Amino acid sequence: MALPYSFKSAFQSLCREKWINALSIFTVASSLLIITLISLFLYNIDIAAKGLPERFSMVAYLKDNLTKEQTQEIISSLDRKNEIVHLKYISKDEAMQELKQALTESIALLEGLEENPLTPSIEIRLQEEIVKSAYVKRLAEEIKKIPGIDNVYYGEEIAETVYLLKRSVQNMSMIIFVSVTSGIVFVIYSSVNILFYRRRSEIEIIALLGATGGFIRTPFIIEGGFIGFAGGILGALGALAFYFGITYNISAIMPMLGALIFPIEILFLLPVAGSILGITGSIIAVGRLRL
Amino acid sequence: MITFQNVSKYYESETILRNISFSAQKGEMLFITGPTGAGKSTLLKLLYLSEYPDEGDIVIGDFHLASLKPSWIPLLRRNIGVVFQDFKLINNLSVFDNVALALRVKGRSERDIKDAVFDALKKVHLRQKANSYPRKLSGGEMQRAAIARAIVSEPLFILADEPTGNLDSNTTVDIMRLFLDINIQGTTILIATHNRELFRHSGKRVLRLDRGVMTEEGGG
Repeated sequence: MALPYSFKSAFQSLCREKWINALSIFTVASSLLIITLISLFLYNIDIAAKGLPERFSMVAYLKDNLTKEQTQEIISSLDRKNEIVHLKYISKDEAMQELKQALTESIALLEGLEENPLTPSIEIRLQEEIVKSAYVKRLAEEIKKIPGIDNVYYGEEIAETVYLLKRSVQNMSMIIFVSVTSGIVFVIYSSVNILFYRRRSEIEIIALLGATGGFIRTPFIIEGGFIGFAGGILGALGALAFYFGITYNISAIMPMLGALIFPIEILFLLPVAGSILGITGSIIAVGRLRL
Repeated sequence: MITFQNVSKYYESETILRNISFSAQKGEMLFITGPTGAGKSTLLKLLYLSEYPDEGDIVIGDFHLASLKPSWIPLLRRNIGVVFQDFKLINNLSVFDNVALALRVKGRSERDIKDAVFDALKKVHLRQKANSYPRKLSGGEMQRAAIARAIVSEPLFILADEPTGNLDSNTTVDIMRLFLDINIQGTTILIATHNRELFRHSGKRVLRLDRGVMTEEGGG
């Protein structure tokens, strides 16, 4: 029965202390917007990083003058490795064709050649999960030991970059998430503290009438939750405005930004996250107060 | 109903109440008088648990305050009506909501609250001001609203701390009549006042406090 009173009291306070509350909502909205934009950036980097292993390949160069059977034997032994998902044999002629295509403007360089100096090779695609430098390096060493293989080339830097990028994205997300969410909790904690002290005499009267701690604290928890919720909605609207701003305006100048992916779930997640943080901040605030 | 057993209260080195012992019976109206700073307000604060005795015990009904669990304090306060000199009404709540608050803390249903609040406001002749806000009321009306809040939950007793201290003489008479009416209906009332006119012709028991020591004056 006390709950309708708690809601009424919370919303009366929200209206009465509109400047403190508006400022808190705006601060929470800005913080959530910062989290969202950074998460959006990291999310897109993560997607891009996920795409890199797909494009990552290793090339095993074969010795010259191998027989068809020897080549087939090499392909079979590579095929038996679980880490390899796709193999493509490139003959000397195919290699020359690819080179000619790549050197369209400098094709004259190849005209003087009497014989094809390129060696046949096998293009190897690996499982995405194992594209980590240490793993790829070990695999390359193993492949090199297969008889008939002359050398193995792989983009060591790409593998390293993918791995580092993924780890950096995860670490950065964690640091930003922890610091900004702590900031939001602190803002709501401080606001609820201020609101509590501004209503101190009112609370003393209610306590003298026999109100329990729960009765006194509940309106503040509702108020904190509402500040977080409203901040979440504002933050979501801000993120949406930012996304459409980029899609329709900035991408004309910077086309790469036009490819940004915006997970629509953010619009629902932000008010929920805001409410949870708001309730957390206010519970900490009222829990520490002496009644 | 209320028994003080050798109660003493100190603030730092100062003795506020010294070895106080007295009882108030159910349905009694009792005045506690004495000059400013005599300890009257402190004595009432001990009853509504805003302060705690340093020595002795206070018994209210079955509750021994010396061994009362903190979680029981709200429960006890719900059974005590308190009226203050400065009314202690919440300015942003209407008269109705101020009075209703005493029942809302008890978790009573809104339907019960509505009936009980209008009944209490009728008793203090303030029904027509139910929707007014405290700032729009006169001093006498504010005190009547505070009395309505004190009686609405049908408490075991009412404590009044200088209830007419901020009122003119005509309003003082009205408020005292109101307390007498409430007492006639069976509610125990303790009134702390320095104004001897309030009890001079009341025929009620008077306890005098001076420098923390209590003496009984007898009826006016």
